[in-house]
Amino acid sequence: MSPMLFIMRKTLKNLIKGVFKKPILFIGYLFIALFVVTMLIASFAMPSGLIRSGSSDLYIGIITIVFLFMYYTTLKLGVDKGSTYFRAADVNLAFTAPIKPNHILLYGFIKQLGGTVLFLFFALCQIPNLKNNFEMEPYGTWMILLATIMYTLSYPLISMVLYSWATKKDGRKKLLKRSFDVLALAIAVLVLLSLARTRNITETLGDVFNNQIAKYFPVIGWTSSIAIASVKGFTTEFWVGLIGMLSLILGAAVTLYNMNLDYYEDVLESTEYFEAARKAKKEGRNMTFGVKVKDRVKQKLSGTGASTIFYKQLLELRKTAYVLFFDRSSVTVIIAAIMFRLVIPDNAQVPSLLMILFFALYMLLLLQVQCRIGMELEKHYIFLIPASSYEKLFFATLGEHIKNLFDGIVLFVLSGILFKAPLVIVISCIITYTLFGAVYTYSDVLTRRLFGRIHSKAILFFVKVLINLLIIVPGGIAAGIVIFITQSEFFMICALAGWSFVLVVTLFMFTAGILNNLETVS
Amino acid sequence: MLKVKDLSKKYEKVLAVNKVSFEIDSGEIGVLIGPNGAGKSTTIKSIAGLLRFEGEITIDGKPNKSIEAKRIFGYVPESPSLYDSLSVWDHLEFVARAYKLQDWTDTAEELLARFDMDDKKKKIGKDLSKGMQQKVSICCALLIKPRMVMFDEPMIGLDPKAIKELKEMLLELKASGCAILISTHILDSIADIWDKALIMNKGEIVFNNTRDVMALSGESLEHIFFSKTEEEVAAQ
Repeated sequence: MSPMLFIMRKTLKNLIKGVFKKPILFIGYLFIALFVVTMLIASFAMPSGLIRSGSSDLYIGIITIVFLFMYYTTLKLGVDKGSTYFRAADVNLAFTAPIKPNHILLYGFIKQLGGTVLFLFFALCQIPNLKNNFEMEPYGTWMILLATIMYTLSYPLISMVLYSWATKKDGRKKLLKRSFDVLALAIAVLVLLSLARTRNITETLGDVFNNQIAKYFPVIGWTSSIAIASVKGFTTEFWVGLIGMLSLILGAAVTLYNMNLDYYEDVLESTEYFEAARKAKKEGRNMTFGVKVKDRVKQKLSGTGASTIFYKQLLELRKTAYVLFFDRSSVTVIIAAIMFRLVIPDNAQVPSLLMILFFALYMLLLLQVQCRIGMELEKHYIFLIPASSYEKLFFATLGEHIKNLFDGIVLFVLSGILFKAPLVIVISCIITYTLFGAVYTYSDVLTRRLFGRIHSKAILFFVKVLINLLIIVPGGIAAGIVIFITQSEFFMICALAGWSFVLVVTLFMFTAGILNNLETVS
Repeated sequence: MLKVKDLSKKYEKVLAVNKVSFEIDSGEIGVLIGPNGAGKSTTIKSIAGLLRFEGEITIDGKPNKSIEAKRIFGYVPESPSLYDSLSVWDHLEFVARAYKLQDWTDTAEELLARFDMDDKKKKIGKDLSKGMQQKVSICCALLIKPRMVMFDEPMIGLDPKAIKELKEMLLELKASGCAILISTHILDSIADIWDKALIMNKGEIVFNNTRDVMALSGESLEHIFFSKTEEEVAAQ
């Protein structure tokens, strides 16, 4: 175990040394640390049920759906590609060294414990929201974090076991994937049938997920039961869930550790896959990574000069979208916004479409932190095209605006029909959504111009989010004043749209210089 | 030293390598060549102990996945992946620990000096260029003083001086009795150092002969390569 401990010790030491050597990095980590501490204090100290005391059925439903989704996606990918705790360097240097495979597995498992930190961070961010809407036990925060840890530790182990079993015989992979799909489909059908009967989302969630089968269902039910203890207390389901998960994790880990292991092949493909995913993320292709690219679409590459970039992006969009420009990000924005509307109180003072707009803008901020322009800047072509920087920046971002306009139309027309909103509000929401998309796009370019390729992508992410929030604030204040004076939802949206338009023009003028030469981005 | 007997590897329904057998003796440099998709990488990964396979692979008579075999086996992969946060020297120290080497520092210093990396000992993995990463990867493989070493496209990314140095090292290793297997596409890069040529096509070894035997026929390696893989190359 000593060589593997050496790697962990040295990695940690060099990481800390690296942070102290680079002031920007140090400030970035300090900012993240402050943010986490604030979230921790907020999560533990804030009283629960501030906005309302939501039904426990709704809480159980949300928690179970979240874990269902996470297990479904990670295990399905795990069966397909295997799961891994390892990096390519481990494969090249550790796997080929005379070190017992179970020692390397143990090293990977310890590394994964470090990986749980990221998941805990995301879980931590959701706790204040949950506490606002549900009456939680004093130890509620701990229970959510405990369930998150159980999930993070269990899914790679389960994936590894399933993948090993599946690869030994033809057809097993397909069988497992189909089984997951059937299970997911069965749950979706159950929810829809119940919804048709009750016509009430809370009742439906209680009907489908607040029952003995769901609570004791291995893995998903067990993990959810641990998190649900945050509102229900230490029930039998909690103890069964906790013991079940601990036994599963320990049992799988001990079995794998004691087995005559030959798992290198099982993790090889997934290691290569995750290295490629990491590279894609670095290059700003994380939203398109792993997406199936259609061979043929009814669109040809056209345009001349700078506009060629736009037509190329249009073609790329069409090739990766399900229909027209409707792709993964459209689905994410729409589902998240509608789900958000379903959980906000019915007696809320803020009109529904405005709520959806705010939430959609928040989602867009997170989704569009890395824009398509990032992909263009990674390659040299855009710098070589004989056209002005303004022209090139305009055409390199036009595809993004059209995509946002398309998503905006789908989202707000759908929501407008659902909530019977006036047409003028629907149109103003679509325009604001598209304009904010443009603000995020150009602020991404601005951040790249100001900070170049910062050492850590996580830091860059925070910097971008922070810059966006800072520049949006005046618009938010103006919108607040407008609604206070006019009491008009329409004028408020117009104020937001107006401010975002000013931002778009200003940012565009400031950022076009990024295309003057490669040095401005590296 | 290296014995591969009836090696077969199937990925789901695709038979990537089919009953491949060959040997590399001590003090011999073997080259494994073939068009894309011939099964070279699968063969290399199987020998490195990274894949499950059918057949038998032994290094100095021991199964390739055994600790004893790994102790004398060096491997330079095609993509030199290093640990992001570990320095050049840390990588060498890791190898020394993993292979339980004694008195390794002088050898490490010497290897780094030969590749002009002695002033970059403290540089961390992610700050190195591809070529420098390749040099570190080679240093790691040679630090253990292997009795069998395998290189996958070793010259890619190296500067001319490093290529010259590596060729000299290969000849020194050969002289010391080390068995060497090199997989490459660039025939010119190994033209003057190989002893045995193994040509793979469609998962099978289609040619296996020594330089001496080939010298008698007067055919060049390049000529034989194209004649044995003509169909495949034409298809590409």
